[in-house]
Amino acid sequence: MSAASPSTPLLRTQPQSSRWVWTVFSLCAVVAIGLFFIPAFIIRPFTHQSPRPLLLAMALRQRAPLGTLIAALACFILAYELWRTVGRLRKSLLVLTLLLVTFSAVMARLNYFEWMFHPIAGPQFVAQSASKLDPKEMILAVRMENDSRAYPISQMAYHHILNDVVAGVPIAVTY
Amino acid sequence: MWTRTVNGRVLHFYLAGINNQNFLMRDRETGTWWQQITGKAIYGPLQGAALELVLSDELTFGQWRTESPDGQVLAAVTKYKKEYDPNWEPDVAKLPVVISFPGTELKSRDVVIGLTINGTARAYPWETFAKQSPVVDRVNGTPLLLVLGPDSKSFRVFVARIDGKDAEFFLQGEEPAEAQAGKTDVKSETKKDWTLVDATTASQWNFRGCAISGPAQGKCLDRVPALKDYWFDWRNYHPETTVYKH
Repeated sequence: MSAASPSTPLLRTQPQSSRWVWTVFSLCAVVAIGLFFIPAFIIRPFTHQSPRPLLLAMALRQRAPLGTLIAALACFILAYELWRTVGRLRKSLLVLTLLLVTFSAVMARLNYFEWMFHPIAGPQFVAQSASKLDPKEMILAVRMENDSRAYPISQMAYHHILNDVVAGVPIAVTY
Repeated sequence: MWTRTVNGRVLHFYLAGINNQNFLMRDRETGTWWQQITGKAIYGPLQGAALELVLSDELTFGQWRTESPDGQVLAAVTKYKKEYDPNWEPDVAKLPVVISFPGTELKSRDVVIGLTINGTARAYPWETFAKQSPVVDRVNGTPLLLVLGPDSKSFRVFVARIDGKDAEFFLQGEEPAEAQAGKTDVKSETKKDWTLVDATTASQWNFRGCAISGPAQGKCLDRVPALKDYWFDWRNYHPETTVYKH
């Protein structure tokens, strides 16, 4: 029998626990990656979302920030355990998986829809007499008491949503 | 448009998902998911809650500013100016449609005016409406008046009742659109002679639904919230909708 090499003293007892660790690692990776990618896939532009997949997407997305974090941490710890026991191929696999897991955990906390459609941070208004809008441009108009506001549709079609306060009433302008 | 106060609490909404003509939003306070088109909370701590609709109009800037000389306009955000598409209407019309309803009378990208009266939904094809304006109709027992504005682009819907009694309305003497071309004066952007007349009192009414002369002067018709939308989107959220036909 060949002697165990110094770098892998527990070589004979590795297979069982190693398989177990790999299994748990894979599960954690699936959870971490799925929590971000599944909702992202379901709620993607230009696709119709039927009620049940949409519910799944929202349920996952809601749990994703914490869930991906926990699963990612577990992945890193388990990967550390596995690192010394595997060769180059599996090391690459571990790194790739950890990258995906990290990406997922980061993206779960970001709102990429707002990268595509930036929100308006602090809406500014111009008196209608000073506005350079073309008279034919379409606007969304709201009037509350004496506060009358116009939101050009060319702008709202991009921003999609604006939290505003009109005559003291907080409203959401949407398009 | 919706109010942001739910159970006495003011919410702040952000974009959380796009679905072609509509989107999902979430509030920062509870993380609840809301549907933009219905204002209903569909998932999360406030699930089941509904936002209150804010009456709004889709008007041309020219029409709006004659009505609101003291009004304010949202300023364009400089760094996003290149994202604003002045041709958004034809450009959006070219986008792929995510759901279609073959066998219905209208094509997916046909524009309709959609409204609901006590839960009953009806769609008015824009072309039909624009040709026939003013359109008189009855939905769920309520008499309606749909009018295209003096600029031929703005529209409003009213309950066709004066002092609780059904009334009929007609358009009185309008200048042809061609005569308006080239004029930049604010007053001439809308047809000065544009007035509605009701058959009951023969009063004159303006595009805001208020009587400007005659026995009914000073009275205003009740507004009906209506949405200018693509047929496929309206039909998707109002499966039972009827379609106006003349």
